[in-house]
Amino acid sequence: MPERVLDVSELEAPEPLLRAIETVQTLEPGEFLRFCHRMKPCHLYRFLDENGFHADTRHGNDYECEVFIWRDGDEVAAGEAQELAAELRAWSEG
Amino acid sequence: MNYTALSLNQTPPLSVPLPYFLAAPLFAAVAAMGLLFAGPEFLASRWTPGMLALTHLLTVGFLGTTMLGAMQQLVPVLVGVPLPSQRAVAYLLFPLWIAGACLLILGMGRATPVMVQSGGALLALAVGVFVLLVGYSLWRSSSRHATVRSMALAIAALAVTVSLALYLILSFSGQLPLAHPLTGLHIGWGSIGWVFILLAGVAYQVVPMFQITPEYPLTLRKWLAPAVWGILVLWSLQGFFAPLIHSAWLLAAGLVVFALQTLRLQARRRRKLADVTLDFWRLAMVSLTLSVLVWAFGQRFSGIPVELLVGLLFFVGFALSAVNGMLYKIVPFLIWLHLNNRLQQAGQWQGKVPNMKQVVPERHARWQFRLHVSAQFLLIAGLVIPVVPIQAGAALWLLSSLALGWNLTGALRLYLRIAKESRQAMA
Repeated sequence: MPERVLDVSELEAPEPLLRAIETVQTLEPGEFLRFCHRMKPCHLYRFLDENGFHADTRHGNDYECEVFIWRDGDEVAAGEAQELAAELRAWSEG
Repeated sequence: MNYTALSLNQTPPLSVPLPYFLAAPLFAAVAAMGLLFAGPEFLASRWTPGMLALTHLLTVGFLGTTMLGAMQQLVPVLVGVPLPSQRAVAYLLFPLWIAGACLLILGMGRATPVMVQSGGALLALAVGVFVLLVGYSLWRSSSRHATVRSMALAIAALAVTVSLALYLILSFSGQLPLAHPLTGLHIGWGSIGWVFILLAGVAYQVVPMFQITPEYPLTLRKWLAPAVWGILVLWSLQGFFAPLIHSAWLLAAGLVVFALQTLRLQARRRRKLADVTLDFWRLAMVSLTLSVLVWAFGQRFSGIPVELLVGLLFFVGFALSAVNGMLYKIVPFLIWLHLNNRLQQAGQWQGKVPNMKQVVPERHARWQFRLHVSAQFLLIAGLVIPVVPIQAGAALWLLSSLALGWNLTGALRLYLRIAKESRQAMA
């Protein structure tokens, strides 16, 4: 299964950020992370940018915010992640 | 796991915000001491020299110092760009601000115009530099985050507050014209425009992050700060135009909406774990609501010093409680972040970095919270019930302020100890 789900919606800062950083570094080829949170993880994106990850942020159905994350150049993971992300509304700050 | 990748690019060095956070409790302790040793004339009105000094110990000394430090920390992280020359600015601003605050407050307490003028000039210079630099960063930011927008409005309100203060000080040769209409504007812009809007903006970010609540509703995040700012403008112009609307009531409604919404979010938090910051913030929101109720209906009850009580509930009950509570998240987070980064970049040290809850132990913070609540309760009782001496509340407030200072310096001691151990281990 290429999808790994990380639910941090009940964790206090900085745990969500740390769990995300831990988990994305263990992604295998073809895998992507579905990161579920109660708010947009503003401080995560720079880490992702600087470390070769892509992210697609959406309003979730069960969570306020869902971020789909995959490694740069991993076309399989990118395709799967974007297909799932497309089912959710694109993130907007309003 | 290696967290060195947890970027510190935007995070200023610990030496930028920490001096502000460590200095602030001293101002609160001096305010409490002033009240403890004051004579009965001290509380005769809000315009006595002692009461003026006490108010500014709280607003400039405690709140202003903490907020200046916190904004130098938060703005670069939120907008993703460091402040221009952040280290030099912080090191210049801190002595300027502290010297200005001390001179202003001493001048007010002793009714010495030259000290008030000198202190006011130093503070105005510090605020001028601060507003220009932070304003420039916020203006350049493409962020549409509600916290960034609120911060921009808050620093604009700070500029208005300080300009009014400077005008009052200089126009009257240091003799403060206490009942002047501009004094009312200075208080309104300082308390609601600067303190309230900034705290609300920061709350949008930190309440969900640290108190595990859902986000504030989008409409509130988007409109509360601009609406309050706009109503403040209307309220300020009411002296010039016939009052078309009851702007003071609208301001009061804005404050209550924010307080009740925060309490509602806290009641809906996902994990019902005990947390001292949560308790400080609950106290803050109840106090904010009470301050509005006393302002609105206090005159109906004889024997209640409405102005003093509103000031106590707003500045001590609301603002001081909220800032005090947040310090127990911000300081441990910064200590943890910088220790982690420093030690893991060094690479060889095998010791364990303490987690946030170990940086300031919960039981220590909990004791300080108990002292703070008891102090606030006794201070209110001292104002309202003649047989309760105000000194009882002042004594507990002094202990509470010292305990806050001790807890925060404890975090610094821990940082220095671990940094030293790691240096020795790698030597």
